[in-house]
Amino acid sequence: MAATLIPPDLNSSSSTDSSSTSNRSISRSLRVAEKAKKGIKAEDPIVAALKYFSKVQKGTPCRGNDEFENNLVTVERVAYSKGLSPEAISVMLEFAMSLRMGTVPCVRVLKCLLPSTVVPHQAVVRAVVWLCVGKLSIATQVLFIKWVLTVFDMIDAKDNLRAIYGFLFSFVTEENLCPYVCHLLYLLTRKECVRLFRVRKLLELHSKLGKQPYLLHLLSLYKVFCPELVTLSFNSRIRAGFGNHNGPWKLALNAIQKRTAVLVPSDLPLALQTQEKAGSRKRKLGHLDLPVLTAVVQSQKQTSLSQMVVPLAQIQSFVQLLENLHLIELPAQMGSLLGSSLALHYLDCVQDESAFLRINFWLGHSLHEEFLFCGHGGASQGSDEAVQFLERLMSTQDFLQEGFSSVEAFLYKFLNVWDGSLLRPQILALLSNVPVVPSTCISRLLSEPLEQLFFTSKVFFKCGLIESLNGMLVKWLTWHSVYALEDGRNVDLDTSMNVSRSGFMLSVGELVRFVGRLATLGLQLEGCHSLLLSFILDFYDTVCDIFQKYGLPLVVMIPRSVFYPALFAFDPISVDRLAKIMNRYKINLTAAKKQEKITGKAFHISLKTYQEFNHYLAFMVNCLWNSRIFQPGDDIELSEELLHESGVPQYWASFSLTNHPAFHCYAIDFHHKCWPERRDVDLKSIQHLQQWGWYLEYLFTQGFDGLRQFIQSNIKTSSRGP
Amino acid sequence: MSVLRPLSKLPDINAASVLLVENEEDFQQKLAGVMVKEKSVMVKVRLAKSLPLPAKNEPNRPRIDLVVFLINLMSELSLQSAEASLKHLGQGYFLGKVCFMVTNARHAALPAERMVAVRKLASGLRCPLLYAEDQTPDGVTNAAERLLVILRVAAGCVPMTTALFLSNLTSCIVPTEEEEQQNLDFDA
Repeated sequence: MAATLIPPDLNSSSSTDSSSTSNRSISRSLRVAEKAKKGIKAEDPIVAALKYFSKVQKGTPCRGNDEFENNLVTVERVAYSKGLSPEAISVMLEFAMSLRMGTVPCVRVLKCLLPSTVVPHQAVVRAVVWLCVGKLSIATQVLFIKWVLTVFDMIDAKDNLRAIYGFLFSFVTEENLCPYVCHLLYLLTRKECVRLFRVRKLLELHSKLGKQPYLLHLLSLYKVFCPELVTLSFNSRIRAGFGNHNGPWKLALNAIQKRTAVLVPSDLPLALQTQEKAGSRKRKLGHLDLPVLTAVVQSQKQTSLSQMVVPLAQIQSFVQLLENLHLIELPAQMGSLLGSSLALHYLDCVQDESAFLRINFWLGHSLHEEFLFCGHGGASQGSDEAVQFLERLMSTQDFLQEGFSSVEAFLYKFLNVWDGSLLRPQILALLSNVPVVPSTCISRLLSEPLEQLFFTSKVFFKCGLIESLNGMLVKWLTWHSVYALEDGRNVDLDTSMNVSRSGFMLSVGELVRFVGRLATLGLQLEGCHSLLLSFILDFYDTVCDIFQKYGLPLVVMIPRSVFYPALFAFDPISVDRLAKIMNRYKINLTAAKKQEKITGKAFHISLKTYQEFNHYLAFMVNCLWNSRIFQPGDDIELSEELLHESGVPQYWASFSLTNHPAFHCYAIDFHHKCWPERRDVDLKSIQHLQQWGWYLEYLFTQGFDGLRQFIQSNIKTSSRGP
Repeated sequence: MSVLRPLSKLPDINAASVLLVENEEDFQQKLAGVMVKEKSVMVKVRLAKSLPLPAKNEPNRPRIDLVVFLINLMSELSLQSAEASLKHLGQGYFLGKVCFMVTNARHAALPAERMVAVRKLASGLRCPLLYAEDQTPDGVTNAAERLLVILRVAAGCVPMTTALFLSNLTSCIVPTEEEEQQNLDFDA
């Protein structure tokens, strides 16, 4: 701790520099405040209060000091109502950290330090200097570091904070401070900061304190920057992010930011930089707002150094991006990347693992804080901000054409506590973006939480979920077909987990089986709801074409529990779509057979699949065309006596194309058109050869393309009618 | 000490009655307000702070088709009260006519042990465990709708299915420690 002891006024490169500027800014702010005061008739109490705190002598007692009490109450009131201006933050932080009036006011002041716009970095650096003096109690030190973490996003520039990385690092030895300091260091670390002695220190702590997640996080970041220095292996990924330690400020800050967002900017008395304020709406702490893309390095002197870096914020055009691709410095807050399309282009082509590590960390942290560990019981959930944030996230994922692993991890946790309605469209959309899940994990990660939600929710949720899972299947298959083209056999779908082709097929099979189960039971519970049936047929539209469209040698038959409800549906659309699906199955199976013959390679489509398909096909043709239903050996078998007892005349023809409930009205309409003079409708007359042909033509003109394809490919129409 | 039994009374035609048990009596009011508006069946909602139910109302109480325990995860008392009430429920109810609904599952200050305790309780009794958002009107409506889905099945208003069947499909499963570990390895 020897190096940490720098009194604020000694000449030490960065800290003095910043402290003098901070002093200057304080005095300037007061001058301006006084000027402003002249303009306003009544003296603004906050100005007086700040003046008091900047001038108050050391050793002034605080107990029974009415002046102090009044001023502090004024500051607190302003802080909690609209937040403190940057200058006020400087004054109050200086007052608190210097312990001019002891520890009690220090804690009180720290708790009300709620910035309205930004926190000047000079003030923070100066406060760290006071921290190094070592007079503060540990609890106060922890409080201060927590405060820095809370307002980290609002600190205007971080280069000076980087400059005192070493001083901050020395605090890791303090056991109580260590978790918070590690978090702060994680946010500040750059490649230059990773040194052997620091790695050694962390490893020493690691062996002393055990596997603490905060140490592991920092070490994993070090490893990304300098793999040769950190030999520790992180085989099982680290459990959780840094703890949720926003302390007492977060709620108050959110409230202030909500309020100031609607206020006219001039309402803040001491704020001077209108430019900053214009951006202040976006500079909110709430994780849901994307931070503005700002550079870590603000001063230009850095560029004269040997390592040239170009902050991403200074890049204006695509050409510039290309020219400086190797010099790009990532912004302080990775979240800001989501807001800029140029940054996304950069992220797309950059090979640097640290960029992805950092953005994943940021996303995981934000999502967990906002949706899984809510401070207020989730009252403001589902707000516009949350919706916008998630939509931005989705558009980013679409742009990069890959999902973030932290989003995936968040989603699995969220599904376990989801009520099924909160942010439903967004969550379902995120769900359909989930990358390939190993087949052994599908039941645990997806089936268990989703099944319960599915079976206990209304039919609209059921439809939404089936649609989302359909989207997921399409995405998986598309990835597969793209990667399979690039690279022969093995499909490397995800950098973190190599999925072999057989593993991928198992996953797809498992997903289809899972949706099949949902479909079966869903149709049963909802009494074959036609809307649900339509979404289920959408899904099988994808499934039946897996081989032809996506080149994956996998054919999974539609289950009986979906086939029969669709075939006997009351609406012609379902029957038509089923016919289309069956036709596609036929095309896929014949193509598979053909390929098997040409290449001679054993194809893993079992004989059972063919048998099952033939069975369906025969039943469908018998039912719609040949008027032969309820034959012995069918899935649907009723005893002769029962059928006779039912009194239905010609029960064997009751699902033919003329009598099927879905087509019955078409048959009657056709009958009217054919024989307009006839009074009593006799559908049997349609079944004569000539009329039957006309009737089919008539049906095809009604838009039943699926049915047409099915009939044309499966039935030789030249032969005869039924 | 009277024990509530599922089949001690005759059902009414096209009616379903649910008993909402909640120690705090706040969320149950909101839910009841939404549930009684259901049109497809006549829904009778009975509210109770805890079980056993007072014996004097016994004659004019309808047959209870579904018992729902509402637990606020932020309160230990709420969980304890539900646990104590369970003793006064006939075994017949545990064949698909009990479910748990918890709120505040996403609260930052929620102790992990309580969450595990609730999951263990629900899975030990083979009952569904539903999560709900009680802070927003949408959340309450959705929770009420989900309860109605279960209630209609439990009261026998949905053909082709039974309470036990649905309960079997939706009952809570506690992952074994080994699975839990795998889970963490995979998604952390």
